[in-house]
Amino acid sequence: MRKTILIILSKLSIIVLKFFRKNATVFPGKIAYDLDHHILDKIKYPKIVIGVTGSAGKGSTTSLIAHILTKSGKSVAYNKFGSNGIYGITTLVINNCTLTGKFKKDILLVEIDERHLKLAFNKKILTHLIVTNITRDQPSRSGNPDFIFKEITDAISDKTKLILNADDPHVMKMTLKFKNYVTYGLEKTIYDYTIPSNLGIDNAYCPKCHNKLIYTYYHYGHIGIYKCKNCDFTRGKVKYKATDLDLNKQEFKINRKKYYLNKDIMYAAYYTLAAVALAKELKISPKIIDEAVNKDFIKPKRGEVYNIEKRTLTMLESKNENSLSYFQSLKYISLKKELKTIVVGFENVSRRYKYNDLSWLYDVSFKLLNDESIDKILCIGRFKYDVATCLSYANIDKNKIIMVDDIDNLIDIIKTKTKGNIYTMVCFDMSDKIKSLIKEAKNDN
Amino acid sequence: MIIKIAHLYYDLMNLYGESGNPQALIRHLENKGLKTELHFLTVNDDIDFNKYDIFYMGMGSLENQKIVLDDIKKYKDNIKKAINANKLFIATGSSMELFGKFIKDKDDIIEALNIFDYETEVIDFKIVGEQHFKTKIIDYDVIGFQNRTSIITKNKNHLFKVVEGTGSSINDNYEGFVYKNFYATYLTGPLLIRNPHLTDKLLNLYLDSMKIKYKKTKNDLIDYKAYDEYLKNFIEKEPK
Repeated sequence: MRKTILIILSKLSIIVLKFFRKNATVFPGKIAYDLDHHILDKIKYPKIVIGVTGSAGKGSTTSLIAHILTKSGKSVAYNKFGSNGIYGITTLVINNCTLTGKFKKDILLVEIDERHLKLAFNKKILTHLIVTNITRDQPSRSGNPDFIFKEITDAISDKTKLILNADDPHVMKMTLKFKNYVTYGLEKTIYDYTIPSNLGIDNAYCPKCHNKLIYTYYHYGHIGIYKCKNCDFTRGKVKYKATDLDLNKQEFKINRKKYYLNKDIMYAAYYTLAAVALAKELKISPKIIDEAVNKDFIKPKRGEVYNIEKRTLTMLESKNENSLSYFQSLKYISLKKELKTIVVGFENVSRRYKYNDLSWLYDVSFKLLNDESIDKILCIGRFKYDVATCLSYANIDKNKIIMVDDIDNLIDIIKTKTKGNIYTMVCFDMSDKIKSLIKEAKNDN
Repeated sequence: MIIKIAHLYYDLMNLYGESGNPQALIRHLENKGLKTELHFLTVNDDIDFNKYDIFYMGMGSLENQKIVLDDIKKYKDNIKKAINANKLFIATGSSMELFGKFIKDKDDIIEALNIFDYETEVIDFKIVGEQHFKTKIIDYDVIGFQNRTSIITKNKNHLFKVVEGTGSSINDNYEGFVYKNFYATYLTGPLLIRNPHLTDKLLNLYLDSMKIKYKKTKNDLIDYKAYDEYLKNFIEKEPK
């Protein structure tokens, strides 16, 4: 009875919020969860409940899985708008169940915050869990990778089939504790390197014998091909092996079959690989996977392109507090050989909290911007001098750096003081602002 | 003369942008007309503490602290000698704990180097947030961040007075540790980039104590501008 009342309350609040055009992805679940922390244990779930967790790539992986599963004729409930905390997930579940708590769709698919995994589901509920990576991310909230590893592993058991990114030793550490898993990974690519981009942090110690792991290749950060020289801990052979990555052609192969990438950036290979691996584990027909990934593909979540006069402006959103997210943007920029201008900076460190932790900024490999093809680097936002300090430590010529004191002048400065195509590598708050400035500039013309 | 800097356990004690700290030391030393060398040292490297002038160690997880302690203990006497010879040691974040008596975890007491008398206790909540400190060493405010799950007690030689933030232990008004040219603090940031006045002064104190001559410098590095901007935006703006 109590369960039904809570479900009715939440469903009613969804209707009310939608009527007033308010965000209805979090608050309804908050009502139910705050009144009963075990509300999600009382739902009758479908046969397949999939979780996608990890420091980065959860949203894109989840969207692609939802696309493939829907193409296969299944009805799928998933957190399309990325509300991946306990309240968002409670809203999603309640919104998709009957008043008696029976789930109405064939599959529940959730992108889930690593720290909220144990709050949302008891150890019997998830049938599959993808772990994309465990990296330095939001240090104020998540501490360090050891802490996140514990948060994830405390929430699961061998009842859940794990789909693990073997290229990340912090993820592969899970194989020491769990036996119900399959692995996926990217073999050597033409974009790899053998000397770490950040000497101090692009590495890991063996979780078994505490010796330093030896890397044959780095894909990015501490993600790559590695093994322990002292014991048997290794990335090893993976079940879903990606090869022949070609970002120019936006394609790669998984177990020798060619797949399309909807974005010319390495993380697109990872979310495509993870989604295909899961679809294969669910025995979705290869023809349907092929159609969903290669023909009727979805738009990427990031990387919108605009025009300023005859120059293109590509918006690479870099996630603050995650140096590897910045690295992927920097690497993307460094692969573009044309003359270019970069915009970097942020007004707030986080949208979750007010902390001004800037430490992660010094883990970013800004030295990748130390390139002749870069005309100017524009520093924006309240922390622009901290960003400029980082650039100076990366030995970037100070004559290339422009401090933008008034963000409203950004488009004028781009037009009058810079050359080449423009790449913005900014976080959420500044990307919205830049989009509105581009729109205003167009209207003025 | 070349100032040799040892970045100790660079690949284990490196959370929260700490690799910026030795870079700041190099920048300030070179600004003073001195030549530098940076050496990255870690487990199994057979570290010769006579060979280096400045030692830096950063923040690490408890798991990594244990790996470091297994290795560093064999150098205890050499580290003591180096500290007493006025060599410059800077330990930021949890690396400070390694030089105390022990780290008390929930189920374990891990013996530390036992060079200083302070003790560490791992707690079951996080201390996170901006820090604003004062110190007798300089007239300038000290800024930074803390992100830790441990406290230090029985610390008598404090480095900072807390204006806003958290001391060595929960209700302490003091933070950090100083003995000769050994400085330790929970502040991350990176501390030495974000506090250029402090970095400059710590180096001057060290260079003077070793009678090393250096050029007087102007505060014209961009680090000073970033420091001023932060104070303007977040410290001076706050109501007292």
